[in-house]
Amino acid sequence: MKAAVFSPSPYHGPAPRGTWPVPTDAFSAELAQQSLATSLDNFQLADELGFDWVSVAEHHFAPMSLTPNPMIMAGALTQRVRRARVALLGATIPILNPVRVAEEFAMLDNLTGGRIVAGMLRGTSNEYVTYNINPAESWERFEEALELIVKAWTEPQPFGWQGRYYEYRTISIWPKPAQLPHPPIYVSGSSPESGELAARHRLHVGFAFTTVPIAREAARRFRQQANAYGWEPTPDHVLYRVTAHVAETDEQAYEDLYAAGAAERRPAFSTSNRAVDDAAAGAGYYGRDQATQRARLETHALDQRVALGQILLGSPETVLDRVRWIRDEVGAGIIELIFQPLPQGKTRRAIELFGTQVLPRLREL
Amino acid sequence: MPEQPRAALPGAAFVERYVEADGFRIRYLEAGQGQPLVWLHGAGGVRFSRAQDLLAERYRVIVFEAPGFGHSPANERSASIRDLARTMAQATTALGLERYNLLGHSFGGRLALWLAIQAPERIQALVLAAPAAILPEDHVRPVTPPESQAQLLYAHPERQPPLPRPAPAVLAKQEALVRRLRGPNRDPELEDKLGSLDVPVLVLFGTRDAMIPPEMGRIYREKLPNCHYILVYDAGHALDADRPEAFVSVVGDFLERHESFVVSQANALINP
Repeated sequence: MKAAVFSPSPYHGPAPRGTWPVPTDAFSAELAQQSLATSLDNFQLADELGFDWVSVAEHHFAPMSLTPNPMIMAGALTQRVRRARVALLGATIPILNPVRVAEEFAMLDNLTGGRIVAGMLRGTSNEYVTYNINPAESWERFEEALELIVKAWTEPQPFGWQGRYYEYRTISIWPKPAQLPHPPIYVSGSSPESGELAARHRLHVGFAFTTVPIAREAARRFRQQANAYGWEPTPDHVLYRVTAHVAETDEQAYEDLYAAGAAERRPAFSTSNRAVDDAAAGAGYYGRDQATQRARLETHALDQRVALGQILLGSPETVLDRVRWIRDEVGAGIIELIFQPLPQGKTRRAIELFGTQVLPRLREL
Repeated sequence: MPEQPRAALPGAAFVERYVEADGFRIRYLEAGQGQPLVWLHGAGGVRFSRAQDLLAERYRVIVFEAPGFGHSPANERSASIRDLARTMAQATTALGLERYNLLGHSFGGRLALWLAIQAPERIQALVLAAPAAILPEDHVRPVTPPESQAQLLYAHPERQPPLPRPAPAVLAKQEALVRRLRGPNRDPELEDKLGSLDVPVLVLFGTRDAMIPPEMGRIYREKLPNCHYILVYDAGHALDADRPEAFVSVVGDFLERHESFVVSQANALINP
């Protein structure tokens, strides 16, 4: 089993909560630079400890992420992370220029000597407001862009594209990706639509912003659809993202969280602007299984989060046990960890504990 | 995508006429005014889509029925596709067309390429829609004429209006002619001439072409000196029928501007 360290590179400083977009009048460049430096240091530590991947993602207009462009963060990581894969989970495809995305992934793949994981996502509902794209077009844009990006990566002659949402007369990207036929592609597996798309195109799936029961069902459905398309996903085809904090003992881990005020229920990033989320939902953004997809984003009290597999919390032994449970329930071959940001070096300590005491035992799973 | 109500079947506005050329009585259907655009059909015979209707808004579209196709008598005379190309060139001369735009679909694309090779000075621009001139080495034509199988022809057969199916005798006659004329999957005689073909060429393939792999388009791009290769997303082998508006948009732009069509003239101004 593999383990990855994910971080949205949050801003560590006072900032408004429960709203989106978040005003920047209290923004401090000094704090932002410290936050980014911490993030880079943690990724480098993960690399040194032997984690399989480091992962970045794309979120806009809020202090929860200082990487609205994950490509740039991944670019920095190509120079700091020398062995682990660098995963972008993901780029928010429907709001971007697919040819540009293809070029950026290809650049990164060459800068890393072929270590990129290309995550391609639709993003949370509010992301469409960022660049003024209609969320009702989300699925169609996503499918078309995905095909166009793969074509741009693999077609040796200049070609044009006459699509529904994208029109180009002549494309010939330099560089081409280093990996052949191209970097592995991960998409969300959570909705029936995304699972079906992944099955049809033989892609890998990731589960994030979810619970183990929901992911278990979605993973089962994905495998069933893959079989119908004539192939069998391996554990490496399934990733599960989860928040984590590891301490010497279970008690210490819980205490760390409560002391930092991280145990309380917080409004979710994407749903903190209710009007935006309702409008996107009304435009069909969540697909035909709207109730489940919106339920994924509900926030819970800490005990519930632990029970649902939304957070791994405890000693190395406890955490290893919970990872084993996720592996068994969801069939995930990659566990992707968001180490809870905490003060006084506790996050760094958590990464070290996982890296030295859990990671070696994961190889046996 | 919602169904679009059609007032009439594709091609309804086209008028049927005949022209004598090379000892054949050749049927053609014509609509529109302006610069001539000659359309050469595929192995299944004349097939109308909304694309020809749309092109007829800007061009004089002439859809030939090659001798031996449709209800015309069996064509025992054309010995090769090069022969048939010479016949069709004579038909265009008989219509008084000195220079014209030429479009060929599938088998008609191979035919159109030979017309261009034989007399490039007469061709203003050449459009090859899912052309069958360069095929994979191991390509085998199915026993049942693929043009009579909707799933092989279209990415979205459910969106096609019900068109009259040719009689089995007609299909058999056409299939025999195609098999005699089509030539090898890779024809060095044809391909050796591409490097010196001084005509602007547009090659289009649907991304979901189930009859000819769309990647074949790259070979035309590679060998022809003035050629652009465009993929039409979510279209099958009959790409003009699957996505007529998209097809006409790019073909129309190319016919207007040739290779300059790579430079966008779109107006993106939202408000003054």
